[in-house]
Amino acid sequence: MPAITVDGLTKTYGQTLALDDLSFEVEEGEVFGFLGPNGAGKSTTINVLLDFVRPTAGRVEVLGLDAQTHSREIRSRTGVLPEGYRTYERLTARQHLEFAMDSKGVDDDPERLLERVDLADAIDKKAGGYSKGMAQRLMLAMALVGDPELLILDEPSTGLDPNGAREMREIVRQESERGATVFFSSHIMEQVEAVCDRVGILREGEMVAVDSVAGLRESVSDGTVLRVTVDRLDDDAVEAVRSLPDVSEATVESEAPPTLAVRVDGSKTDVLSELENQGLEVRDFSTSEASLEEVFQSYTTEVGAR
Amino acid sequence: MSTESETETGTADRGTTAPSSSITLESVRAVAKKDFQDSVRSWLFWGLSLFFFTLLVATTGVVSYFGEDLAAQGATTDVLVGFVSEITRLIIPLIALVLGWKAIAGERESGSIKILLSLPHSRKDVLLGKLLGRSAVLSLSLTLGFVLAAVVVAVLLGGFDVGDYIGLLAVSIVYGIAYTSIAVSLSSLTRSTTVAGAAMFGVFILFYVVWNALTSVASLLADRGIPFFDTISYTTEVQGQEVELERLPDWVYFVVNLDPGEAYGRTLTLVTDTDMIELQAQLNEEMFGGELPFFLQDWFALLILVFWIVVPIAVALYRFDRVDL
Repeated sequence: MPAITVDGLTKTYGQTLALDDLSFEVEEGEVFGFLGPNGAGKSTTINVLLDFVRPTAGRVEVLGLDAQTHSREIRSRTGVLPEGYRTYERLTARQHLEFAMDSKGVDDDPERLLERVDLADAIDKKAGGYSKGMAQRLMLAMALVGDPELLILDEPSTGLDPNGAREMREIVRQESERGATVFFSSHIMEQVEAVCDRVGILREGEMVAVDSVAGLRESVSDGTVLRVTVDRLDDDAVEAVRSLPDVSEATVESEAPPTLAVRVDGSKTDVLSELENQGLEVRDFSTSEASLEEVFQSYTTEVGAR
Repeated sequence: MSTESETETGTADRGTTAPSSSITLESVRAVAKKDFQDSVRSWLFWGLSLFFFTLLVATTGVVSYFGEDLAAQGATTDVLVGFVSEITRLIIPLIALVLGWKAIAGERESGSIKILLSLPHSRKDVLLGKLLGRSAVLSLSLTLGFVLAAVVVAVLLGGFDVGDYIGLLAVSIVYGIAYTSIAVSLSSLTRSTTVAGAAMFGVFILFYVVWNALTSVASLLADRGIPFFDTISYTTEVQGQEVELERLPDWVYFVVNLDPGEAYGRTLTLVTDTDMIELQAQLNEEMFGGELPFFLQDWFALLILVFWIVVPIAVALYRFDRVDL
């Protein structure tokens, strides 16, 4: 049984289409990275999962339960780190956690929870004096109350320094080992890469790709860029390279030293021999894998805009 | 709109906990407790208690200083209740509106409602918990002020009518909850605290300006012979002489009595022996040929107060379940 099933989900706010016939599944026990630029509809999707907003059309199930009619049960079995929240400034970290425990009807140890998120020092301080990073750690601790089956983390790295972000990923990994399903959203590819089993990329309310990080990297067809430094530039030679079957793009990258950038899918030697056939001398060449950022961008920017 | 099609017959019907839009007491209690802890700066609670204490003690001081004759007649508690209720009639709504206006709108504006509703509470639990939490702040500070002042009042007045004193406290609490219900409910209708604040101001204007002018306006309209405002004549005896007087139609009195403040005063005349509570519409049996219609009798005023607790929150419970946060 999938932990999350989204089927044909559409949400409009007045004239604005926030989600357009969105469908995807999150398997039980996996860490799923929900990726997309700001405004792509990530938070709207999460808001529907938690019944904060109601879908215009479509069906959403969480833990096998209808997200609207069984929202209470879903939330009792789910830990949530929401986005755009504000802590209760007159309550301490301990009181926040006690409220979460009260609400879920579970017993847990506030000190242990706060130690996990490295906030034990501030247990009896009022949240009004917390930095953004401390508030984020507190919310993560609240999400962990009662060892939930599912964790929904909306932009969990917000406000965390690199060290905090690393600790957060470590907790995600521990929770995953415990058997929890983790659904977490981000607009930064690097943050999901290290921990996610699969990644879904959302663009303008539509899922444009769902795959493992490696799979995504491979699926970007213009994956490898070959940079060739030659003795001189020649338009005919560039045209000849461009017409090779495995080459999708060939451009002059710089005049001095004369360098060509060639996006190539298959054999790189074909490109080099073609250049030599055209009478150019290859002085140097290098290849680079598409960076994750390029993969992300290739999915989240309009095709043809490049 | 699809939100209207929300039903309890979801495709996956395997839930074991209470349905999502139901009310559970544990949740209401948890939200109320949290709200009580968070909404009240401790000085506000103690400040309110001190305020009610001072109000009672000061009024008692004035009564005991100027009211030797009253004391002789054993009517001092009556006078105290009369004076204090004049002030609480105005002050309790102000306190309730100020305590309640941000209850929901504030949490929606700041996003902290996402913390509440990420936990397994229904929206109804949240509304009721908020109403309970804020009502508790007002009720407990009233009670504390009254209890502490009781000793001083007893000493200054040399004994007092406990029934009237407790009656004033009890009716004031009901009155406070009615205005808290109005405030929390209005607060749930908007995402903006500015709009919510304007709504609170509007309520105050409605009941303290518009409503207070109702009898005068109705009389003016009656003078001009506007339909439905026709006056009704009745006879009464003034110094042994039969005189014919005119009064407004029944329904005008009913509308006037709908004001929570008017209902507060009328309920007080019911539960205490005080006969000096000032009301906008002075009613007596002669005006109605021997007996007041049931909806103008004092016991009905208690129902009106209950109405103001139940109806606003009921509307809010219905509507808040159906909106996007």
